[in-house]
Amino acid sequence: MTHAMGRTVGAPALSRRLLMTSMLGGALATRGSTAFAQSDLRLRMFWWGSKERAERTNKVNALYQQTNAGLTVTGESLGWTDYWPRLATQTAGRNAADVLQMDYRYIFEYARRGALLPLDGYQPAALNLGDFSPAAIDSGKVDGKIYGVSLGLNSTALIYDKELIQKLGLKEPSWEMAWSEIGDLAVEISKAAKRDRFTGLADGGRDEPALEVWLGQRGKSLYTTEGKLGFDDKDIAEWFAFWQDLRKRGGCAAPDTQALDRGEIDSSMLTLGKAAMGFHQSNQLVGFQALNKSKLGLTTYPNGGKGAKPGRYLKPAMMWSVSAQSKQQEAAVKLVSFFVADLEAGKLLGVERGVPASDAVRKVVTPTLDELGRTMADYITLISDKVGPLPPPPPRGAGEIQTILRRVNELVGFGKLAPTDGGKQFVIDSTAVLARG
Amino acid sequence: MASAVSEAAPRPIEGAGENGWRGSGAGYLFLTPWLLGFFGLTLGPALISLYLSFTDFDLLSTPRWVGAANYVRIATSDPKFVAAMHVTFLYVALAVPLKLAFALMVAVILNKGIRGLPLYRAMFYLPSLIGASVAIAVLWRQLFSGDGLLNRVLALIGIQGPSWISDPDTSLYTLVALSIWQFGSPMIIFLAGLRQIPKDVYEAAEIDGASRSQQFWRITLPLLTPVVFFNGVVQTIEAFKAFTPAFIISGGTGGPIDSTLFYTLYLYQEAFAYFRMGYASALAWILVVIIAAFTALAFLSSRYWVHYDG
Repeated sequence: MTHAMGRTVGAPALSRRLLMTSMLGGALATRGSTAFAQSDLRLRMFWWGSKERAERTNKVNALYQQTNAGLTVTGESLGWTDYWPRLATQTAGRNAADVLQMDYRYIFEYARRGALLPLDGYQPAALNLGDFSPAAIDSGKVDGKIYGVSLGLNSTALIYDKELIQKLGLKEPSWEMAWSEIGDLAVEISKAAKRDRFTGLADGGRDEPALEVWLGQRGKSLYTTEGKLGFDDKDIAEWFAFWQDLRKRGGCAAPDTQALDRGEIDSSMLTLGKAAMGFHQSNQLVGFQALNKSKLGLTTYPNGGKGAKPGRYLKPAMMWSVSAQSKQQEAAVKLVSFFVADLEAGKLLGVERGVPASDAVRKVVTPTLDELGRTMADYITLISDKVGPLPPPPPRGAGEIQTILRRVNELVGFGKLAPTDGGKQFVIDSTAVLARG
Repeated sequence: MASAVSEAAPRPIEGAGENGWRGSGAGYLFLTPWLLGFFGLTLGPALISLYLSFTDFDLLSTPRWVGAANYVRIATSDPKFVAAMHVTFLYVALAVPLKLAFALMVAVILNKGIRGLPLYRAMFYLPSLIGASVAIAVLWRQLFSGDGLLNRVLALIGIQGPSWISDPDTSLYTLVALSIWQFGSPMIIFLAGLRQIPKDVYEAAEIDGASRSQQFWRITLPLLTPVVFFNGVVQTIEAFKAFTPAFIISGGTGGPIDSTLFYTLYLYQEAFAYFRMGYASALAWILVVIIAAFTALAFLSSRYWVHYDG
């Protein structure tokens, strides 16, 4: 509804803007005359994420409006699962927001179909990526052009209930632990905690990022550069077997408990109080801590043993992209630039979307971080020399493979398929989806 | 439009009944909002989806004509379609008769003329008003989850219940239960139907020595068949179209292991999660045909079991 209102440019809208400008402390008297001369600019911004993220983002937008008379930014956010259907529908309906949050998984699909604006031409006047590392800039490129601007660096991270594990007198998980060791720890936690339907670890068998790291450690990948599966049924059968074994030993969540997880922070096993450790992303620590009373910690996903590859990689946690349909492309690009290059904006955003890619912003932000933020920044520093290269982009249909992984993992978990049959089933179903695109 | 009003308004109802458009012009005028909605928001999109069902359309690129390929795939090589059909038919087969039976039972009890009838009626009707809402589906999650209310009650009598909504063996039945709980709207209609049955028929039967159950099976039910028919058709269509409860309770996945993958949910996933709008449109049209077939079947069979004469 706000959008429908935002699109009508007329007297009521104008007075509303003036009212907002004055509320934000702008000097109405001096600015009033020029405001009329300027065109009435409205930008829409759309992202996924928690309430915490919405608050930080809205603060940056308010700050931006203060220094840009005649401009209003309306923000809208949804959870990850609901975000993508909405974005696709809005794009198809030629009603996409001007500034969109993008993920590495989707940027190729959107950019190649002409839904996003290439940003190269706006540098450096409107888009200031001066002190981004080349790797950070490249992470937003599709076919050689910039379509996404990194909002922060990120990696996979095991997020765990630090307070509980300490209270139980057990060793905290660390980057030095291999899969079997984390599994053993999980079993110990389950035993020591003695809570109903509570286990040491969430069921990671259905988590694509966890599988990806595990495969990476064995020198394989989810997908090849040709868009085929990068592993075979034996690899994935072994994966299912690891989890089935852990399930039987009571180390990871039972399948009917795990099924409550809808893939968002609020329904995760950790937040629901069903598990002490879960497979997540490092930037999510902020969002998780906001919903968990107990003090949380983070470390890497388990390692692949001595001499194994790291499996994990640093990636843009998320990016800003500008819609190709935007009618105010330059203004939208400037807003994007403000988010990633402005020091004050950086302070407001903190590391909630990941550690800033700009050197200058990172230097200013680091001292202002609270303990939580520092934990995250330290984590990215810790793993910087323990990461591999960015994997090839996910092919068309990759979104559905995540669903297949979840389903087959459930089939194994509920005892309807043996791990080896699960492996075969997964490869058959995934190959069919990839062939269909 | 304005001229039509001024033309039609002062005219007496002279033409009513004899010449079609002139007499009914005012009627159509009053229907305008509905007609606009029907053509703009229902028929238009429906026809577009019929076109899309013959295309490959991913929402972002322009649709590409593929002929009947989508329908061929659905008919020959889509295991998920079969799974979704299975879940949906099972749901319809369980939810519709149970809900109608329950609604009829409550209606018969309320028809006995107990005190405070309006209050009970309102209370029983309430779930139907809010039952399809997101909030109730969320509540259902809480009630039937592993450590939900139901299991806590069961624990008191020493039974360890499963995690109803997230166990593939029980999840669908929790949705059936949710549907039965929304018995209010057929119940109200049954109640109205019961009131229509003349009292003297029962009095005559009583004098002839018919028992209560004989009265129900020989008088109430036959005389109520038009209402049963109406409720049956409406509820069947509703059940085929059920979406919200499964979507909320399974978090949009239709899980665990596709046990709550309603047809509409599968259709939604194909359209909005995997961006196969063309394929999803084909699925939608198959659902239209199925519902139409069931409704036609109900109408055709009705003359054998529905008694319209009082």
